[in-house]
Amino acid sequence: MGNCFSDELGGRAAVGGTSASHNNPTNAPNDAVDHFLHSRGYHGLFSQIELSYSASDLRDRDLLSKSDPLLVAYAKGRDGMLEELGRTEVVLNSLNPTWITKHNITHQFEIVQTLVFRVYDVDTQFHNVEVKMLKLDEQQFLGEATGVLSEIVTKSNRSLTLDLVYREESSGSVRLRNHGKLTVHAEECINSKTTTEMDPFLVISKVVENGIPIPVCKTEVMKNELKPTWKPVYLNIQQVGSKDSPLVIECFNFNSNGKHDLIGKVQKSLADLEKLHSSEQGESLFLPTPVGHNYHNKVLKSQLFVEKYYESIQHTFLDYLAGGCALNFMAAIDFTASNGNPRLPDSLHYIDPSGRPNAYQRAIIEVGEVLQFYDADKRFPAWGFGARPIDGPVSHCFNLNGSSHHCEVEGIQGIMMAYTSALLNVSLAGPTLFGPVIGNAALIASQSLANGGRKYFVLLIITDGVVTDLQETKDALVKASDLPLSILIVGVGGADFKEMEILDADKGERLESSTGRVASRDIVQFVPLRDVQGGQISVVQALLAELPTQFLTYMRTRDIQPNP
Amino acid sequence: MSTSYTLEITVISGENIRKNRKPVKKDAFVVIRTDSHKFYTTKMDAGGGSYPAWNEKVAVDMPMHARFITVEVQCKTSGGSKTVGTARVPLSDFVGGYVPQNYLHFLSYRLRDCNGERNGIINISVRAKVPEYASCSRAEIGVPLALGETYSGGVVTGVPIWCAYPAKF
Repeated sequence: MGNCFSDELGGRAAVGGTSASHNNPTNAPNDAVDHFLHSRGYHGLFSQIELSYSASDLRDRDLLSKSDPLLVAYAKGRDGMLEELGRTEVVLNSLNPTWITKHNITHQFEIVQTLVFRVYDVDTQFHNVEVKMLKLDEQQFLGEATGVLSEIVTKSNRSLTLDLVYREESSGSVRLRNHGKLTVHAEECINSKTTTEMDPFLVISKVVENGIPIPVCKTEVMKNELKPTWKPVYLNIQQVGSKDSPLVIECFNFNSNGKHDLIGKVQKSLADLEKLHSSEQGESLFLPTPVGHNYHNKVLKSQLFVEKYYESIQHTFLDYLAGGCALNFMAAIDFTASNGNPRLPDSLHYIDPSGRPNAYQRAIIEVGEVLQFYDADKRFPAWGFGARPIDGPVSHCFNLNGSSHHCEVEGIQGIMMAYTSALLNVSLAGPTLFGPVIGNAALIASQSLANGGRKYFVLLIITDGVVTDLQETKDALVKASDLPLSILIVGVGGADFKEMEILDADKGERLESSTGRVASRDIVQFVPLRDVQGGQISVVQALLAELPTQFLTYMRTRDIQPNP
Repeated sequence: MSTSYTLEITVISGENIRKNRKPVKKDAFVVIRTDSHKFYTTKMDAGGGSYPAWNEKVAVDMPMHARFITVEVQCKTSGGSKTVGTARVPLSDFVGGYVPQNYLHFLSYRLRDCNGERNGIINISVRAKVPEYASCSRAEIGVPLALGETYSGGVVTGVPIWCAYPAKF
């Protein structure tokens, strides 16, 4: 058992994989916020999801008994290929099975993770075969269901019921038929952490059903120390099971050959450790000593003290979404003349009669299809800028739908329709000003705050070029950094986007306004669409990777909690 | 009508604070001045060097007519203390507009030394302590919401939210 720990500088490395370091995925250059969060023990984003399944009204394919269903879960890649995530056990003789096997999957906010579930009836002759060895084409297919992970996790009960479909071929035609329903439940694995601080090197293990302890974490090695005090270790509740689950804490004497000597151990739950901490009492270690054929626990003089104990809840992005915090999506499209005449095929605004989307349409679809899952009402404010509406002067923020009163459109389709009709109704002009659009988005965000809303806004700006009002844009962004707003900028076409990189404060200085105010957090993410054409990372992934962090920074600095 | 109100200002931290162009080693503290003769002082930061952290909350009485607060980063010297950087914070950055009056604002400012040269950054948060009777939101200020017509010509002079300060101050 001791052989697994041969590193002298053990540090706080956790066997179970919980990192205690401040894991900031974005390097957002904001020491104020980072420091603030760090001081409160916030770490990086976790969203490991555990999926569990049940089904009802399955097709009955067995003659004498009912079906023996098995479920196989797949992730669908962007290329449409299916990758198997795992299989459940076979439930015998049931048309309404609840499977015990669960599958873990990492929820990535920025990707539409399509999951496909197939249910098979496993013939009796295969029941002695291990499920992962089963050839699925030898089994009876009962149906297939498709769902998107973000749809499941954003349901308030985190359960989504899907129709099981199978193809029926009769007299040469193929029909899709529904038969039965599949319910997928998603449980987030990690959402709270517990910290304990104690004292040569300790290994904390959890005890599972068969009695063999599984190491969860260990402390650093204190050299030549009879009264060691170890650095705090971090355990999360999910790792240990519950506060009352028994944990074995073993104290080893480190040996550089890897054969560490057990000094003694205790068996305590987290709740017991908490009591030890509050009572300031020590707990005597015991050492199992062989007596004849049995072991006798010899109680030692050495004691274990719990110096620090605290629990903290770390709400994740998903906690906020499930807790009623909505994302609201807004879009603004660049109609400046530098895009080229929309009637000519070389224009970035050219609507191809073949239906092939232009760069603007691609950006709307790609970003929109991800964000709309998180936007409950799917009504999106949509604007255009840098064009002359019929008979009017150049406008730097006009409603895309042509209305003079309301800017909202229905769904991504609504943005697409408003976009194509706006192309027919405005004449492209200039210059390229972002200030008014950002100002309007900020206005909507602050009005929502005034109405007591718990919303976070995301403005997508799609543009072909260089901003004319760089300082004014910075001023607007600095002011907006105090509001529940993030701005995604997609650059299309071949222009020089250096200034956009300045706005996306990732790489350099924090944005500063003309009056000397500095952005209190990074709210801008810029990605040129050309960078990713044919590349590995999709534009959406690049764009949205920062959004959960920007969102959490806003919520956590203000101590805003999700609804339970 | 009272002649003052209270701001809850948390002096969070400073970044890259320099004295005579060299990074500050220790003992930086912050003085907040309103335009009266009142001022508020934080404790000295011992360990943070040129990235001091104070996380200290002060309740600042604001005279009604005040338009600015001044935030000074000072440093202990052998003969007392020296101001190494100052930021003038316009109240309009967190008073007025649409957000609720008791909204917690996180604000950062560029510091400038006595010669006007750029120094580091100061991070603060501000929340206005609003008396109960005045706490209803002023969401209905007469600012035109029509988004299309407001902007005409090539010059944009601003966006309603930030020029719509109520006449209170």
